[in-house]
Amino acid sequence: MDLLENYKKTWKNQPEEVNKLSSVDIYKMAHSKSSSIVKWIFIVGVLELAFWAGINLLIPDSFYKIYEDLNLEKQVSFFMILHYLVIIVFLYFFYVNYKKISIVENTKNLIQRILNIRNTVKYYVYYNLAIVFLSSFIINIVLISDSDTLMKVMNPENLPINVNQLIAITIFSQLIAIIIFIVLLWLFYKLIYGILLKKLNRNYKELARLNNGS
Amino acid sequence: MQKDLETKFLSDFEQNQNIAHKICRVYTTNQDEHKDLFQEITIQLWKNYSKFRGDSKFSTWMYRVALNTAISLYRKSTRTIKTQDISDVAFKIKSSDYDDTEEKQLSALYGAIHQLNDIEKALIFLYLEDKPYKEISETLGITSVNARVKMNRAKEKLKNILNP
Repeated sequence: MDLLENYKKTWKNQPEEVNKLSSVDIYKMAHSKSSSIVKWIFIVGVLELAFWAGINLLIPDSFYKIYEDLNLEKQVSFFMILHYLVIIVFLYFFYVNYKKISIVENTKNLIQRILNIRNTVKYYVYYNLAIVFLSSFIINIVLISDSDTLMKVMNPENLPINVNQLIAITIFSQLIAIIIFIVLLWLFYKLIYGILLKKLNRNYKELARLNNGS
Repeated sequence: MQKDLETKFLSDFEQNQNIAHKICRVYTTNQDEHKDLFQEITIQLWKNYSKFRGDSKFSTWMYRVALNTAISLYRKSTRTIKTQDISDVAFKIKSSDYDDTEEKQLSALYGAIHQLNDIEKALIFLYLEDKPYKEISETLGITSVNARVKMNRAKEKLKNILNP
């Protein structure tokens, strides 16, 4: 007889669990809190959405005064409105993807749907990084095209610096700040999602590989 | 209404709980993890029970929910201490009329299964439970042909571990 057929017999004869649960135990368990990966991805996702949406609230009003001084109010409000519209769209997709998850589906689809929620959040983060770049790019163009105002705001004490130097310093310091910010963010996401998604990614790859016939 | 549903769920689950225990034995290696996974399976079964229409048997439905929980939703909790891991499962399944050779063989089988990856574990588990390929492929979301191919590979791997 085949080796495994022999083990199958052993499997079938295995005794039932000694610590069988009563209905009361099952009832208590069924009403306890889930600690599933989906729940964690959902929590982390909501926190991220809230973080990016709330970042504007964390900036003190005095910070906006600089935009007034620099004549950038129009550009800033345009980006703000766009930003909030985009947040609403992302929230919608995040919620829809979350709702679509059903444990009763087949394993491959289930994992795919869980990874989709993660992807929504990922694109949201990309969007936020892109908007930081794009808005600073546009704001810089406006600043440079109006160097007199820039000079007035950035150098109120009239130190002997020429305009070109000032522009170079402004752009350079922004660049450094953005790079540090992005590196920190990237490390943070790698860490959180690396831990959360390791198992899902591995199992999904295995199933996807199977369906590709390799 | 809710009360009726709950009563029916409890009796269905109580009768079939051994399926969940076996899945926990396959996917976990110590009692804490076993308990954690069992709890998560219970939560998921209850959460989705209202959608269970009864066009399949409760046990068939339970296989799918429990396996999905083990493969996709379950996170090993950090409070589990690694050194507690015990490769055999004899501590959970003691019975006076159970013969010693079979117990050793069962331990060896579980020990070998623990070395497979999550998907192979599912395939081997469903094989040991005598599930048809149609059900296996529908549960995992792969074609029957691929399920067969992968099953043969998983069986070979298991044989090699059991009998190197």
